[in-house]
Amino acid sequence: MATLPTSVPGNGRRPPLKMRWTRRISTMLGWTTCGLALLTLSGLMVWILEMVFVRGFSALTPTVLTTVTQGRGGGLLNAIEGTAVLSGGALLLAVPFGMASGIYVAEYHYSRWASVIGFLADVLVGVPSIVMGYFGYVTMVEWLGWNFSVAAGAIVLAIICLPYICRTTELALKQVPAEIREAAYALGASDRRVILRICLPAALPGILTGVLLALAISVGETAPLLYTAGWSSFMWDGHLTHSPIGYLTYAIWTFINEPFASANALAYAAALLVTGFVLLINIVARFTLKRTSI
Amino acid sequence: MRFRNWLAILAGVLPMSLVVILVFLTAYAWPAIRFNGWGFAFRDMWNLGNLYADPVMSAGVSIQPGAEYGILFLIAGTLLSTIIALLFAIPVGAGAAVFLAEAIPGQLRTWISLFVELLAAIPSVVFGLWGYVVLIPFLGHHVFPFLASRLDLVPFFGGPPGSGYGLLTAGIVLAMMVVPLITATLRDALVSQPVALKEASIALGATRFEAIRYILLPRTRGVLIGATFLALGRALGETMAVLMVSGNALNYLPQNIYSPISTMAAFIVSQLDSALQDPSGLAVKSLAEIALVLCVISVLVNAAARLMLAAWGRTFSTARGA
Amino acid sequence: MKTTIASARPKRAATGLKLLAAAALAAGALSIGSTAFAAQTQLLETGSTLLYPLFNLWVPVYAKSNPGVRITTQGTGSGTGISEAISGVAQIGASDAYMSNAQMKVHPDMLNIPLAISSQMVNYNVPGLNNKHLNLSGPVLAGIYSGTVKFWDDASIRKLNPGVKLPHKMIVPVHRTDGSGDTFIFSQYLSFSTPSWNQHVGYGTTISWPAVQGGIGAEGNPGMVNACKTTPYCVAYIGISYKNSTDTAKLGEARLLNRAGKFVLPTPATVQAAVEATAAKTPADERISLIFAPGAQSYPIINYEYAIVKSKQPTAQHAMELKKFLSWGISAKGGEASHFMRAVGFVPLPAAIARLSENQVAKIH
Repeated sequence: MATLPTSVPGNGRRPPLKMRWTRRISTMLGWTTCGLALLTLSGLMVWILEMVFVRGFSALTPTVLTTVTQGRGGGLLNAIEGTAVLSGGALLLAVPFGMASGIYVAEYHYSRWASVIGFLADVLVGVPSIVMGYFGYVTMVEWLGWNFSVAAGAIVLAIICLPYICRTTELALKQVPAEIREAAYALGASDRRVILRICLPAALPGILTGVLLALAISVGETAPLLYTAGWSSFMWDGHLTHSPIGYLTYAIWTFINEPFASANALAYAAALLVTGFVLLINIVARFTLKRTSI
Repeated sequence: MRFRNWLAILAGVLPMSLVVILVFLTAYAWPAIRFNGWGFAFRDMWNLGNLYADPVMSAGVSIQPGAEYGILFLIAGTLLSTIIALLFAIPVGAGAAVFLAEAIPGQLRTWISLFVELLAAIPSVVFGLWGYVVLIPFLGHHVFPFLASRLDLVPFFGGPPGSGYGLLTAGIVLAMMVVPLITATLRDALVSQPVALKEASIALGATRFEAIRYILLPRTRGVLIGATFLALGRALGETMAVLMVSGNALNYLPQNIYSPISTMAAFIVSQLDSALQDPSGLAVKSLAEIALVLCVISVLVNAAARLMLAAWGRTFSTARGA
Repeated sequence: MKTTIASARPKRAATGLKLLAAAALAAGALSIGSTAFAAQTQLLETGSTLLYPLFNLWVPVYAKSNPGVRITTQGTGSGTGISEAISGVAQIGASDAYMSNAQMKVHPDMLNIPLAISSQMVNYNVPGLNNKHLNLSGPVLAGIYSGTVKFWDDASIRKLNPGVKLPHKMIVPVHRTDGSGDTFIFSQYLSFSTPSWNQHVGYGTTISWPAVQGGIGAEGNPGMVNACKTTPYCVAYIGISYKNSTDTAKLGEARLLNRAGKFVLPTPATVQAAVEATAAKTPADERISLIFAPGAQSYPIINYEYAIVKSKQPTAQHAMELKKFLSWGISAKGGEASHFMRAVGFVPLPAAIARLSENQVAKIH
């Protein structure tokens, strides 16, 4: 284990009243460095938030929220709707499968299949999102011929969300005391009853946290959507395939690159909406629901 | 069928999707893997060949004349920007974690931790936006020219200061994106250390900082390494932010830390539509090969991180139980 | 810990389930409600960022008199335009480049329909010289983009600009990262004017740019303007429809050396001169380069702006709406009207070319 510096007084001797000045200085220096590190971090956070909120609020007008994109200006209603549709679709797909795998990993943790799923969930988190997008483009957009579409975008987002929902479900279930399960089994309840009626309701707050965090992730994603959802400056027409859809992160990326102030304003407004929403979800997830770490 | 079997099948969608992605990418990239060979990783040349000529056969694959694919510059850009990011992120992240865990009392700690760690929740494209609008003009017009002129003789720090788009900027933005991972994980580990350890060392005459520096931090080394690997995994695959600040260098290695670069992930986004121009289809398949390489590297790094953190979790929980 | 979970359980569980149910219902209602729009025909235009401003002017005007069609416009780069028109993702692929013979062999059912004539500026950002028009030539630009001409006060640049005090600063060449018709016509100018470039690099919508230390890549014409604005001592090639932006950004605009050895700026007169010198050779499928035209007044980088269209459309409805829109676009009373053309710096198609385009539009079915 670690050793203290030799100047630390040893057995039986009284500690000197004055510390050696080198120790004093190194201690002070240590605290200062650590404090500065924290200050730097908070400073950067403030710097980013300042840009997002100051420029975002000055760009956020009622028109932005109520009209669709028109060339180099207009509004973001199409993108807001698109982000909601894509993220909602992704959750509808990811929640059942993600929860199923989380339940399996937690409740049948002794089985080999459970440990395979658990490990691969961790591995899937590590797959870069652009790789998923690329996969989605070549399979769904091109090969299956769905073109840029809600379905392709939502499925790719769902795969990205899967491991998060799986892991939070598992963690939430693990916090349900084993005694409750034992009592239920002792009363003759089946697996299905114990899991669905006893454990799942108890773990629901934790699971919801995970779903919320997955929502935040899918709202903030850009790269996997560029080549799957495409972009549209109209409202969604209700088709799952063959019709592209807008989303807020695309507006940030594209419109900041345009040399027109009206387009740049849309980018800032979109950044404010996305960042505000994502931060809000994260804060809610931390405070009102049981905290589960990812 | 039994409930458990149904559940197992539903649960199988998760591992299946990973397997499908990997198998698909490999199968799709296979002609490119054969054509490019090992040189893919060691050449500085991304050349679709003459797109306006007729395709020719080479090594059993139809290509445009002159086509050649090598991604050394992308591997270098990815690794260098990630290393720079970690060089910033580890000390800042660890320092902030120590200060949060040891110098800030209970309630206040929760709030400040939350504030700092929310940095991890900000979407990549917003980091990119900030980098593009705020950081690049600031660094490119003020900081880099100053640094380059002061450190003219230091290797990699002198030379042309560039325009702000490049390696160092990408590294800084990446560092900001991964630092909360390190801070949060390390802070949790520090807070959960037995108080007795600290008390004992202070009783022996150590200052609080010395107790942390010599007793607590070494015990959390495993966590720090695990968190660093997680951060590494995230930085390697980061796309949008890097795309917006890296300068999209093509076919050359960075000359100093201000040079434009490109990374594997950013390159896939910026090149997919060009690659689709290639009537032989080899360019798209070579991009798939990049995706595969990136995927394998990130998966390995991430798996290593998880195993390390899990191993630490076991030793620590047994130690605490004893 | 345990007790809080247990006590909070029933209430939270209930709200959670309700939330999920409400979300599902809302999603369902949304998808039913919006099928009402399905009667409209969807046309997606994507591709050239140079054509993008023109489509943005056209579409709102056209949509007013044609409510049955929804045309979405996207500036993604000509490469995307061509490939998405081929794959059927988009109905109109906007491109500054025509498709290659190899591509046409694989996809013989694609049409390359010129909509207008465009030109390309070579811009630079050299503090103090941006309000002058520096003279540049194909060989000098080829030198810059291959890394042999490194500094602004290089002898070759000084020779073209006698009496101009050029700074000893590194040149930063900016190129497009996306597949781009601008890259195509720019690299064609370099290829046609500089044999060594033609031999080693060639032309295409995507080319393997020689390694130039410090050279940067930008996405789309807007990205080029922004990159050049923020990067002193850059050189960039930018489509004429971004002239307003390059002027706002206070970028310099170079006079280019044409085949006759004269330095010219892209103006309606010099573009018109180049059109007159080359357009007559246009074949029936209209795939031809107008680059480096002969004639003392001719501007060297001009091109047809193409709509890349599949002749066989998925439905008769699509084919009908597409033909109608494209015919409107190439008619003198519709899309070629001078207020549209002037706004983006384009030149309308000569009558003979418009007829060729009209013939091609008729092939859509």
